Amino acid sequence: MVNAYRPSTIDEALRIRNETKALPLAGGTDLMVRYKNWAGLPPKFSQPVMFVAHLHELKGIEVEGDELIIRSATTLTELLKDGRVPEVLKLAVKEMASPLVRNIATIGGNICNASPAGDTLPPLYALDAKVVLRSVEGERTVPIEDFITGPGQTVLKENEILCEIRIPMDEFDSIFYRKVGTRRANALSKVSFVGLKNLQGDRIDDIRIAFGAVAPTVVRSRDAEKMLKGIKIDEIEQIYPSIEAKYAELIRPIDDQRSTAEYRKIVSLRLLRFFLLGKAD
Amino acid sequence: MEISKAIRRVDNDEKVSGIAKFIADVKLEGMLYAKTLRSTRPRARIKSIKIPKLPNGYFIVDKNDVPANNRVKLIFTDQPFFAEDVVNYIGEPILLVVGPDKAKVLEILEQIEVEYEDLEPIFTIEDAESGTKPPIFGDDNLFADYEFTKGDPDAAFARAYRIIEGEYRTGIQEHIYLEPQGMLATYEDGTVTVYGSMQCPFYVKNALVYALGWPEDRVRVVQTTTGGGFGGKEDYPSLIAGHAAFAAIKTGRPVQLILDRTEDIEATTKRHPSIIRHRTALDASGRIIAMEIDIKLDGGAYATLSPVVLQRSMFVSTGPYHIPNVRVRGRAYATNNVPRTAFRGFGAPQSIFAVEMHMTNIAEALGENPIDFKMRYFLKKGDDTATGGSVHTDVKLDEMTRQVIEMSNFYEKFERFRKEKGDTVLRGIGFSAFLHGCGFTGKGEEVIKATAKLRRRDDGKVEILVSSVEIGQGAQTTLRKIVAFALGIPMEDVVYENPDTSRVPDSGPTVASRTVIIVGGLLEQAAKELKARWNESGEIEVIKTYRHPEYVRWDDEKFVGDAYPEYSWGVNVAEVEVDPVTFEVRVKKVWGVYDVGTPLDERVVRGQLEGGIVQAVGYATIEVMESKNGKLMQNTITDYIIPTSIDAPEIETRLVVSPYPYGPFGAKCLGELPMVGCAPAVAAAIQHALGLKVDEIPARPELLLKKWLEKSR
Ligand SMILES: Cc1cc2nc3c(=O)[nH]c(=O)nc-3n(C[C@H](O)[C@H](O)[C@H](O)COP(=O)(O)OP(=O)(O)OC[C@H]3O[C@@H](n4cnc5c(N)ncnc54)[C@H](O)[C@@H]3O)c2cc1C
Repeated sequence: MVNAYRPSTIDEALRIRNETKALPLAGGTDLMVRYKNWAGLPPKFSQPVMFVAHLHELKGIEVEGDELIIRSATTLTELLKDGRVPEVLKLAVKEMASPLVRNIATIGGNICNASPAGDTLPPLYALDAKVVLRSVEGERTVPIEDFITGPGQTVLKENEILCEIRIPMDEFDSIFYRKVGTRRANALSKVSFVGLKNLQGDRIDDIRIAFGAVAPTVVRSRDAEKMLKGIKIDEIEQIYPSIEAKYAELIRPIDDQRSTAEYRKIVSLRLLRFFLLGKAD
Repeated sequence: MEISKAIRRVDNDEKVSGIAKFIADVKLEGMLYAKTLRSTRPRARIKSIKIPKLPNGYFIVDKNDVPANNRVKLIFTDQPFFAEDVVNYIGEPILLVVGPDKAKVLEILEQIEVEYEDLEPIFTIEDAESGTKPPIFGDDNLFADYEFTKGDPDAAFARAYRIIEGEYRTGIQEHIYLEPQGMLATYEDGTVTVYGSMQCPFYVKNALVYALGWPEDRVRVVQTTTGGGFGGKEDYPSLIAGHAAFAAIKTGRPVQLILDRTEDIEATTKRHPSIIRHRTALDASGRIIAMEIDIKLDGGAYATLSPVVLQRSMFVSTGPYHIPNVRVRGRAYATNNVPRTAFRGFGAPQSIFAVEMHMTNIAEALGENPIDFKMRYFLKKGDDTATGGSVHTDVKLDEMTRQVIEMSNFYEKFERFRKEKGDTVLRGIGFSAFLHGCGFTGKGEEVIKATAKLRRRDDGKVEILVSSVEIGQGAQTTLRKIVAFALGIPMEDVVYENPDTSRVPDSGPTVASRTVIIVGGLLEQAAKELKARWNESGEIEVIKTYRHPEYVRWDDEKFVGDAYPEYSWGVNVAEVEVDPVTFEVRVKKVWGVYDVGTPLDERVVRGQLEGGIVQAVGYATIEVMESKNGKLMQNTITDYIIPTSIDAPEIETRLVVSPYPYGPFGAKCLGELPMVGCAPAVAAAIQHALGLKVDEIPARPELLLKKWLEKSR
């Protein structure tokens, strides 16, 4: 048996976290599965647990300057209902879990869980999202790609809580999202792909590409994106082999119970080709 | 017919409201919990088991606690209740830890140390065939090895103008009944009573009597509300009923043993994976003159029902077609995998997949539309079956096929989809035709001699006394309906309790789509007799015992004659969309026309058809189960993927009725049929969409991509 805490303010939560190292539990849709026990017994937590989803300081979405702020305990359903949430993030959220799970699962939980198959992650990487972490000592802001360091690994300190996600309010004319799951609901990703593009005339002005579930963390290559920027649409084909080579190096999938490394790799590159050239073969 | 009109299901309210009590909901005074210590090795000798000092009130129950025979009695008695000196699969039970506090039970379980000496495991059919490893079962490592011949296939192959061959593979399928397996046993006054989730109360009882070595009247089995079975609760419950019973006898307390979902997936039985080879001889005009079929099933570590599963697989392996010369060989291999057993269709989905894909491929090789080609071979009344039996009643496959063509607009789509070359979607359409032999295979019904009883009680109600159980398929509703209609009394006046072996006769197990046609048939006869005697005073009891219709002939040595007294029939068309980038498959729509004889309740029938179709769609596309060194990789419901409601296709079904004169109100068999034949329609549709051979299911995207790349190379 472990202690469970239900703080009433974020400050109290930070204090408890600092003193007890209690594990934050938001929707619990990852944690309750991870620590599940023989039916009839409480879950197998090995450290104190602290409920955070009810804290009003962690709820809600607002705009500050040119940034969208999503507080960490915002549920996936709430994201879908908000007009300001970037379209590509919504496309990903729409295909996550099922309505039941989306009603309690939070965006903060998906980020902190840091699963290679976490579906909000590729859009957040592509959107240059940052996370705001707080502790009794203060606050720091970390780009999402620096926050997540490996499967289940983040730089979150034992006394910190993820409070908000900040996303620059960029617009894109071309938004492409694909989740290749094991089925169409309540399914984890084998591969996911985000492609965002802005054109100026027939030239690429901005391009963002991210792959999920095919490496220990989300794959995004600023190098490859730089190579594509300024290129005319009909010239992509010429440099495509070198672009593909860049990603092929970074995409290092595994064989597991959901798919094969071979499939994940080939399909990632087929999605890339489809996004850039409009055809997969 | 009036009886066909849908009524409100008898078990609706208690299940929808949550009032129904499943075995895990039952808590008795002083009850103990049991948890199973399982083998972590696929094949090993147990060298030693170190058990910690047990606190007061906690027990170990193992092979030494089985009073008479540590063997689950079924076809063979090869499977121990608890491992003795060797283990043969990961998940095999070794012992139980039993006690009042679950946390303590777990703690003890985790402290037990088993020392193994690994033996060379056999994992695949190929492995087993190579014969290089010591056999698991007998000398040849085969649970069964059969062959039968009709006509003169050798002569036909000798004069063949062309021979078309193919090899087809099907995967493991897991039942995923909603309610995991569970039992609760009590021991009072020298009698053991086992309550639980099951399809076959008398299988459980017979297994207990054998294991205990006790007289029958000291063993009682009671079925509790059962959340699905699909064959997974045919033989497996006997094993855990034994566990619970031995524990109750040893401790003198009620003992509950419920499997958690992951434990259930890892340790309970599965559908047999198969490798099936077809050779078909054609004459110069392109007519089929002979078929040779070789079926290999991976049976897992113990025989369970593998021999009979193999028989059904073989007996329907030429599909719903009239083939003059036939040779079928079948083998079921022992492997160090979790045992395989009954699963809706019982070997038929495997062989129907093979024959349907093979027939489609022959049509393609001849440049013909697969429907037109298949229709020419449809069995008709009077034709001989693969085993040289006879089709005794009208077959309406032609009419059913015409209807499904019209419903699905098959020909137009078949041509159009072939020409379309989408960048974002590839469409395909496929057809399958199939049959299901009603009731037990071969001599089964003759051996079991099902008995059903009807009792008009003093209170005027009529009670059904049979061992058939409600497992979600609607038996509570349909069997009552048969009796109510035959007697002309209201449904409310018919009583049908969950069977208790101390009260009901053995009307056989709830399997093989036999409940309505066999047990329902007996109840109809009994009701007719009761009606004739209705004016007698007091309690009246009518007992009926099953006999095949006069015309049924069967040679169980040579496998010649009527393997089944009657058949149900079906045709499916499936339409799919395949994503050309990722090779994900979406089954858009399935059309089906079925002949199950008279439908006894149209909604119950539709429920079975739609559920069977969805289960077959899963089997054909996404239900991947692989094992790595004997360990299942997909051992949770997160990873073992069955269709959700949005993966399910749109479904449109119709019924065509060719009544069976010996079935109740003309009913035939239903439950398994829709699962038996839909997968090849889906696979043929994928094949049509991609223009490549789909000779293996599940046709997961990984497989399709690989084939696509091979083709484009
Ligand atoms: C049936 C089912 C389907 C699913 N489908 C998908 C899917 O399609 N795609 C997908 O990506 N995921 C899926 N998931 C996983 C899960 O639902 C998501 O990852 C979800 O977003 C987790 O959020 P949560 O609030 O439930 O997290 P929790 O379980 O509460 O927490 C997850 C982790 O984050 C930490 N955490 C939570 N909040 C904070 C915080 N504010 N500060 C610091 N740490 C915090 C917790 O300590 C824990 O380590 C599924 C889960 C289930 C059960």
